[in-house]
Amino acid sequence: MRFLLLLSTVGGSVAQSSVVPTLSIGGIAPDVPLILTVLVALRRGPEVGCVVGFFAGFLQDVAGGGLIGVQALTKALAGFAMGLLVGRFWVASPLVQVPGLVLLTVAEGLTRFFLLQFFHYPVSLGGLMMHVVLPQALYNGFVGAACVLFAEGVEAARKHGWV
Amino acid sequence: MRSRRYGLLVSVLLASLLLLTVQTRGGGTGGASDVVAALMTPVQGLLVKIHRGAVGIWTTYTDWKGVRSENAVLRAEAEGLRVQGLQRAETEQENVRLRRLLDLRERLPLSALAGEVVGRESGGWVRAITVNRGRGSGVAQQTPVIVPEGLVGRVVQVRPGASVVQLINDPASTVGAIVQRTRTPGLVEGDAGGGVRFKFMARDGAQVAPGDLIVTSGLGSLFPKGLPVGRVVAIEDKGSALFHFAVVAPAADFPRVEEVLLLTGQTTQDIAALFRVDG
Repeated sequence: MRFLLLLSTVGGSVAQSSVVPTLSIGGIAPDVPLILTVLVALRRGPEVGCVVGFFAGFLQDVAGGGLIGVQALTKALAGFAMGLLVGRFWVASPLVQVPGLVLLTVAEGLTRFFLLQFFHYPVSLGGLMMHVVLPQALYNGFVGAACVLFAEGVEAARKHGWV
Repeated sequence: MRSRRYGLLVSVLLASLLLLTVQTRGGGTGGASDVVAALMTPVQGLLVKIHRGAVGIWTTYTDWKGVRSENAVLRAEAEGLRVQGLQRAETEQENVRLRRLLDLRERLPLSALAGEVVGRESGGWVRAITVNRGRGSGVAQQTPVIVPEGLVGRVVQVRPGASVVQLINDPASTVGAIVQRTRTPGLVEGDAGGGVRFKFMARDGAQVAPGDLIVTSGLGSLFPKGLPVGRVVAIEDKGSALFHFAVVAPAADFPRVEEVLLLTGQTTQDIAALFRVDG
């Protein structure tokens, strides 16, 4: 299981910098490592969500060539926060998971923006929200919905002994 | 449990902040990030290659699909153009035929009616064609039917809107004729095999030779005088027999006759000169 987690974390991060850009619409691509972090956190809790988020973000930072640690921090927070919600809210339903992912993407974007303010990031919040964070949140919602449905399908198939 | 959870979070956050701090202080992340990048780069390259390969296969497939549908469209288009070409050639041929027929009608010194072949009977027992001119158009029994090349036959049955024309190669057909060059009289008859022969008296036909043109005699006033019937191909000399036969190649190409002239008027004039007879 740990190996699978490691593989998906590394694979998701590497895919984000190689394959995922081709899925971009209007210059916006889904944040696959974030989606992965959220899905892992939903199933494995805050600790695993936090660690997976940290490594996924770290790999993204390395691959992206930006400040190393920014996405590691924001994604670790996102994974932790999502993991905390499990048990407090009814998060098993895809109808909660997908909007949750959208909101979390916005929260992660905001956190990253405020963190980058310490490093004199030169873009306004309005522009960033309008052109990057909100479109990406929507895109993540769609991709996340597909992933959730796929995961549900796999789980159902496993229950019935088909897989 | 809870303290461990938050402890982990704090550790992770501290690690992140440490990384950021180290970088902003000008120290960089040093070898650690270089090692991670070095490990990641080949994997990234591999993924990109796999992705490019998959995209290439997909593009090839979509191209192939596109080419296939385009091919089908082009084939249909080519088929349509071929049909159009054939139709055009057909129309041109029909035009030529009708023009020749009209030309002949204008030159003829008797009234004639153009008709189109709408049916054929060529089973062997009867050789006939049906023309879309009948009683309503003033067609009568025994009306001669011709084409620009020569005689086709005669009307043997008149219906309100159509006429049945007995061809000269019908086994029951008999036409009074002469050899144009020698003026040898005789009868043109159809035979069971679909051929046409010229029956003449042996004592009159010593000079009849292959290549001679047979024309209607005009006797009996059924057919105008001088209508080309065909050319002699061979002579069947029966020795001492009373009649000899000449095998005749009909002037009209019966299977290809599509438009005809029905000679509704009469003339005593020799009209052989009005026909263009090759050979």
